[in-house]
Amino acid sequence: ALPSLNSPSVEGDAIKVYVRVRPPSEGTALTDGDQGLCLSVLSSNTIRLHSKPEPKIFTFDYVANMETTQESVFSSVAKNIVESCMNGYNGTIFAYGQTGSGKTFTMMGPSDSDNFTHSLRGVIPRSFEYLFFLIEREKEKAGSAKSFLCKCSFIEIYNEQIFDLLDSASAGLFLREHIKKGVFVDGAVEQVLSSAAEACQVLTMGWRNRRVASTSMNRESSRSHAVFTITVESMEKNNEIVNIRSSLLNLVDLAGSERQKDTHTEGLRLKEAGNINRSLSCLGQVITALVDVGNGKQRHICYRDSKLTFLLRDSLGGNAKTCIIANVHPGSRCFGETLSTLNFAQRAKLIKNKAVVNEDTQGNVS
Amino acid sequence: AAGSGWAAVCEKFRTARTLSAVESRKDPETEPYRSKYSARALLQEVKQLLSAAEEGGEARLLAVRRAVLEYELGVNHTDTEELSAGEEHLQRCTQLLEPHRLSPDCVSLYIQAQNNLGILWSERDEIKTAQTYLESAEALYNQYMKEDGNPPLDPSEHFMAEEEKLTDQERSKRFEKAYTHTLYYLAQVYQHLEMIEKAAQYCHTTLKRQLEYCGYYPVEWALNAATLSQYYLSKQCFMESRHCLAAASVIFSQAGQVPSTEDNETEQDQQDLRQRKAEIARCWIKYCLNLLQSARKLLEDNVGELDPDRQLELKAQRKKEEDEKEKGRKKAVLFGTSDICDSVLAMEEKVSSVYPLDFQEAREIFLVGQNYVQEAKEFFQVDGYVTDHIEIVQDHSALFKVLAFFEEDYERRCKMHKRRIDMLEPIYADLNPQYYLLISRQLQFELADTYYEMMDLKVAIGNRLEELDSHTIKKINSLAQLAIKYYELFLDSLRNPDKVFPEQLEEDVLRPAMVAKFHIARLYGKLITSDSKKQLENMQTSLEYYTFLVDYCEKYPDAVRAVETELELSKEMVGLLPTRMERLRAKLCPFI
Repeated sequence: ALPSLNSPSVEGDAIKVYVRVRPPSEGTALTDGDQGLCLSVLSSNTIRLHSKPEPKIFTFDYVANMETTQESVFSSVAKNIVESCMNGYNGTIFAYGQTGSGKTFTMMGPSDSDNFTHSLRGVIPRSFEYLFFLIEREKEKAGSAKSFLCKCSFIEIYNEQIFDLLDSASAGLFLREHIKKGVFVDGAVEQVLSSAAEACQVLTMGWRNRRVASTSMNRESSRSHAVFTITVESMEKNNEIVNIRSSLLNLVDLAGSERQKDTHTEGLRLKEAGNINRSLSCLGQVITALVDVGNGKQRHICYRDSKLTFLLRDSLGGNAKTCIIANVHPGSRCFGETLSTLNFAQRAKLIKNKAVVNEDTQGNVS
Repeated sequence: AAGSGWAAVCEKFRTARTLSAVESRKDPETEPYRSKYSARALLQEVKQLLSAAEEGGEARLLAVRRAVLEYELGVNHTDTEELSAGEEHLQRCTQLLEPHRLSPDCVSLYIQAQNNLGILWSERDEIKTAQTYLESAEALYNQYMKEDGNPPLDPSEHFMAEEEKLTDQERSKRFEKAYTHTLYYLAQVYQHLEMIEKAAQYCHTTLKRQLEYCGYYPVEWALNAATLSQYYLSKQCFMESRHCLAAASVIFSQAGQVPSTEDNETEQDQQDLRQRKAEIARCWIKYCLNLLQSARKLLEDNVGELDPDRQLELKAQRKKEEDEKEKGRKKAVLFGTSDICDSVLAMEEKVSSVYPLDFQEAREIFLVGQNYVQEAKEFFQVDGYVTDHIEIVQDHSALFKVLAFFEEDYERRCKMHKRRIDMLEPIYADLNPQYYLLISRQLQFELADTYYEMMDLKVAIGNRLEELDSHTIKKINSLAQLAIKYYELFLDSLRNPDKVFPEQLEEDVLRPAMVAKFHIARLYGKLITSDSKKQLENMQTSLEYYTFLVDYCEKYPDAVRAVETELELSKEMVGLLPTRMERLRAKLCPFI
């Protein structure tokens, strides 16, 4: 049985971080033996990385070992987020990790099947099922007094451009903000959903439109971030009062983490682009970083956050429940990437609602 | 035969370079490195052809040509994420060149190989190693320029026929570009090593060299310069900050004049340009705001009012400095050659870079800032750009706030604060805190604070009167009530979903929350009423809020640091208030 993770006492604004260790692909485990693994799971929330000279121990909200089933990943990670989504909170689930670490398996299920009734189906189809289960239950309880409207959109962020996966003909889309509705992708198709099966269909269709690439290093690596968003709106009539609630559930499959070094997550790369004129273009990022560490003085930074962080600003230290599933491959050849994934996850734990308030009345208390 | 063989080698080499630099950009997304892989195969062929020709060739010439190939292969491998192989090739390249690195046919290649080794090591997170390579590239450039200085050969020339070789001008341009890249990579390395000042200096030099050698895109350059100005702001270097901003504005204006490379300039490009312009305007706003706020810091006394003695002192000091400055200003930071430089200087004259010391001077800076507020708002409209728009409005409000500091007349000062209320309140009313919690809190707090300040001003105005008239009393009470309302809204936003106020406050809201409590306590103390019972109630409420501060700090001693002054006063009030209340009670029921 899994430990209870979501008792109210530990529930804060901090992002929850889960680590999942995938089993090595068949064959490699046999030849490499135990020596071939670069980490071991010590308990349900600690992991040891066999770094030299000293091994490193990391602590997370939950660590799933190689035997952990899809069902138990879902119940410990996503269940609570779907529930609070029903209560009007926004929720976001990210999968992070190097190509081949099991992100797609965790979020979607086995990559060769579109069949979401499969016992190996992942977090996203299970979230659909649970969400619609909860909706049906609510409807039964409240009768005609309460009604629900679910809509979804599915977009992809590739090279800082946004594409609609539900409308492969569409050109780049733009992010905009609305004073009541928050951040949204202008012009993205919104499809009304009435069941989990329908949601799965939409997901499958969009997934085929994603951009993948193969290099001699990686057989298949996703070069884009995919964001599946469900809007849940509920309307409750209580005598003459109509109570409308709306919340968002974002399910995000990030591009392979080894591809992300140019974004803020890593910020590390001297990078020389092919075109020599263009290659200085990230000087701005360097300067931005310099200004970032400034001592809290009023300043404006000309370069906006990446599209992804802007879209999910609420989820990253905003008014939402967020969790990150960091996927790692235990093979010793993946040591470097695994270390950087665990380091990233460690940092993610520190992100929380940054409610900095402009306030400078110190000394002005006469 | 050897001649035609060589021509074929050169041709292959050239094809490989085109594949790598030009064709690769058109590779399909599913096979991003297709052209790179073809280029690699060609380079391998060239390498073999070269070793076949080894006999009889001149050793040095061959070594240099081989180094060029190793370099190209090294870059090719790192481009395709094969770092170890890339490193081997680059290492071989530098080994081959080592003895000749200061000669004109090798120096540029050697520097570029070191640049690439720097990139490679940084991708492995070994920033220190990267730094060694890059600093040695920098040193080599300096040594070469000192000892020789003639335009050196470009690496690609080693595989060119004699008649195709580059002009000195072109050689020099490419060499300088390679060195600019060294500086640019060093800027990144220093940034990662947290050598912030040095990183900024290298960014600055990179920008300067981009201008000098015309290797820049105006819009991008302008944004970089504007961003750099914000770094100088955080260091209170207003002269440097203004220079960067003026240069940004001047170079940006060139962007509109240069016909764009692709003729089909879209609506989107236009939109982008407008956004960039608004971004630069926002940097100017921050400049004006910081200059005013820093001046305020210098001028204020311990209760936040303008200190006239300090004002006189600073004015005298400035006079003295101005006389000395006639000798000339810092030359090192100037951007651009004569033409650009003149425009930049003209731009700079529109706003001061020295601390304003009286209302008149402050007002001039305020007006410049306010103009940029209008400019920025033209693009960042609330519909579509909620966050940006509100941030600009907040800056506008902050400009009024700091201008009010310089205003002596209390009535006029109060009107300035009213302007702040008028711009903030409607936005707050519309904003959905489900998506904009942070901004919503900021607005609550700022509105509360503004009402609080206005209330204080009304009290000060009232104190000059012989007797408080009913109109003033009403005004004071209503301002205080509004301040309380917004402080309470802020405090309510900290409650958890079950509406419970947190037992322990998060660090980032600790001080604002405590200040809100403290101010509410004071506000209840200021409410004016002739009804003694009501007065007693207000005192009771006030006491509760003061007590909160005292109890909280007792329970969480870490909090004391954040609210030292407030805590001290609260303790005092917790001691005094019960006695006062006792006295009041005694007055109410004199016979008990």
